[in-house]
Amino acid sequence: MSWREALRLSDVAFAELSLQAIYAFRQGNVAPGGSGPRIVARARRRVVQSKAIVSFVLALLALAAALALRAVRLRAVFFGATLPPAAFEAGVVTALLSLDVAFLWWTGMQVLPTFLSSGVLPVLEPLPIDDRTLERTAGLLYLRLFDLPALTVLVVTPIVLGLAAGPWVGLALVPGVVAAVAFSLGLSLLTGRFFVRRVQGSRGGGGRTLLRWVYLVLWLVPAFAMFAFVIVAPSFFTTLAVLAGAGPSTAAHLLLAAFPFTLAALPALVASGPSGLGLDPVGWETLAAATAGYLALAAWSLVWVFGSVRRIGLVPAGGMASGPGVRVALKPQRPVLSVLTKDLRVASRTPGFAFLVLLPVLDAVAIGLLTFARAPGGSAAFGIALAAVVTAALLATFFGPAFFAVEVFAYAYGRTLPLPDRSLLAGKVLLVAMLFLVAGGTVLGITLTRIFDPVLFVAFIAAELPAVVAASLLELGILFRRARSKGLPITNLYSGAWISFLVAIPGLVVAGLPLVAFDYALAGGLELGLLAMAAVALGELGIVAPLMLGRGDV
Amino acid sequence: MTGESPVSRVAPLTIEGLTVAYGPNRAVDRLSLSVRPGEIYGLLGSNGAGKTSTIKSIVGLVRPLEGRIRVFDQDVAEHGLDAKRKIGYVPETSLLYDALTPREFLEFVASVRHLDAAVASQRCQSYVTAFRLEAEFEAPILTLSNGTRQKVLLIAALLHEPPLLVLDEPLNSLDPRSVRIMKELLVGYVARGHRGILFSTHTMEVAEQLCHRVGILDRGLLRAEGSLPALRAQVKSGDATLEDLFLQLTEEGEGVRAAVEALTGRR
Repeated sequence: MSWREALRLSDVAFAELSLQAIYAFRQGNVAPGGSGPRIVARARRRVVQSKAIVSFVLALLALAAALALRAVRLRAVFFGATLPPAAFEAGVVTALLSLDVAFLWWTGMQVLPTFLSSGVLPVLEPLPIDDRTLERTAGLLYLRLFDLPALTVLVVTPIVLGLAAGPWVGLALVPGVVAAVAFSLGLSLLTGRFFVRRVQGSRGGGGRTLLRWVYLVLWLVPAFAMFAFVIVAPSFFTTLAVLAGAGPSTAAHLLLAAFPFTLAALPALVASGPSGLGLDPVGWETLAAATAGYLALAAWSLVWVFGSVRRIGLVPAGGMASGPGVRVALKPQRPVLSVLTKDLRVASRTPGFAFLVLLPVLDAVAIGLLTFARAPGGSAAFGIALAAVVTAALLATFFGPAFFAVEVFAYAYGRTLPLPDRSLLAGKVLLVAMLFLVAGGTVLGITLTRIFDPVLFVAFIAAELPAVVAASLLELGILFRRARSKGLPITNLYSGAWISFLVAIPGLVVAGLPLVAFDYALAGGLELGLLAMAAVALGELGIVAPLMLGRGDV
Repeated sequence: MTGESPVSRVAPLTIEGLTVAYGPNRAVDRLSLSVRPGEIYGLLGSNGAGKTSTIKSIVGLVRPLEGRIRVFDQDVAEHGLDAKRKIGYVPETSLLYDALTPREFLEFVASVRHLDAAVASQRCQSYVTAFRLEAEFEAPILTLSNGTRQKVLLIAALLHEPPLLVLDEPLNSLDPRSVRIMKELLVGYVARGHRGILFSTHTMEVAEQLCHRVGILDRGLLRAEGSLPALRAQVKSGDATLEDLFLQLTEEGEGVRAAVEALTGRR
């Protein structure tokens, strides 16, 4: 059979995938009103909308990079004459390609569980379709998960940068964006395979749970790059300036051989001329070899993806349930705590969910470590530590709505249990509060020797806590009511992310108001700032909690 | 709650004028039936007859267009949580938290149902042993076979010993040994106290063996209801099997014959 047949089959399968992603029928949800074709069309439209959001963010990244390339004055302000234009341009493009890879990879992590749980590939498998067509169908189906975002990176990014820095610069970026997309697809699938084998299929038990979380942290650190890059960007450009000033060196050659700097150097060389980066013969050879190597790797990655999607799509239905028998002992908890425990257990086998759980903590670690770059006991170190807590609060609040997503797993079954919505909501809010406290505690642990007053620091965390609780109550309360009225689960990035983004806006306002109050009152002293912050946070909780929890079943 | 809920002689389940619609399609049309204390009631019907829609309405997954459903005299629309406490439900498809293991899932169910740890463990141990589930007890549900998933759902439904079991094709995918255990278990289950079971199935033999009364649903309408002897009397066929009665009452006998002739003729 032909590519045309594979394309046709992937189209049918993608309709099913969209339907499952949006309406989660396989999780027992009931069909909404309307005719079949209309429901399918609605599901497809929502998937396209979600892809459009991701693509929009990627286009914004390209625009930001284009503006940076034109902002020569910005470079002069930050780096003076020490950073040559070509190094600056290569740095900006490196940042852009890194963020593109991180964003596409993260997108893949979000949608892959839906892709696997939709069961679209196992449906095709018994049909009389030859192996090659099945492989092509699976590959095309996988590509369609990324189509709009990938096209944005492949087409929009070179055009936008070409408009900003010249058409040849845009053209020279093409190898970089092609490799970025190919690596993202490969990394998504590679981590997806790892997820199926080592995380999703991991048996229960205390030691294994801990091991799963260790795996997830290790796995999520690269995905965390998107955020981490923002933090390390100043140091990165400073390092570039140092390397550029020192002339050809082993470190400079290593940087030239590192993705994505290798492919980011190409547009920089086009923009600034062959002498722009001051490369010696070894540098040119390194650049040529690394470019050829990465392009070959990108091609191999695409071939590997096409050959592997089919296998990973057939989630093992059994065979992993081996091992010795166990003594049956159940340890029931209070319902609210059982929701929290269940969510943490689900997260420990669901990377997309684990990412949201770990992000505020990893962020706190990253920012907390920055305090070591400042003098101990200084107000700058204290400020950084506070910033880490603030970011953790805002991240926990921003991603709070996504914690509702876990309910899609057996969403329908969960609704048949006598679990009051109030308990379910309280369990989710407890998770958000716990994340904030763990992140705050982590920062405190890291910076204990660096900040002057741990008591004030703890007071800051305590003052913000009611606002974090109020914000997540507000966000999750709105989502629960909407889900009950519409019967729609919020499953992942591709199935109604817009509503999560929308409810995050009032949530962020609620979480942010005490911080604004702190900032205003800080002129009267730190203690007054903390008092103002606590008063606003408690006031918000006093208003939001009765609204969201006061009427029995939400 | 230990599951020994005080129940009186009121009907475990009463449905009055239930109508369920998906858009313009009526899946269930003015259905009325009741499950009496100590009774296994079989809900029979072809695919799409409205069995699952009826059951989903009882457990709160579908909002009916019209009608009332009462569980031990409590209206599920007004007292949903109380009704859910009295129900053990097995869905038609294996709706489970795939990322949890059976132990983790059952622990969550036991927590939500406020079960005592010792009681929950002891009951769970009995079922796990009976269904030979020990080896899979710590494996993620995602990796389990359909039959094993079904066993987990059955245990979850039985764990709190509810006075009303609502089972949608509960024997699907089970191995013969587990089917036999379940049959014996269900018969014994209603014999104790004033419990009731609503049981949907396509399998006429199972219904014939287990059910005190059956209701035959056809395109959302209840065509007939009663015990097997009562249904035989209704169609004036003294020795008809439930399958024969079903085909006669749903007026599908002729259709079956025509379909078989068409198929065999084609061969």
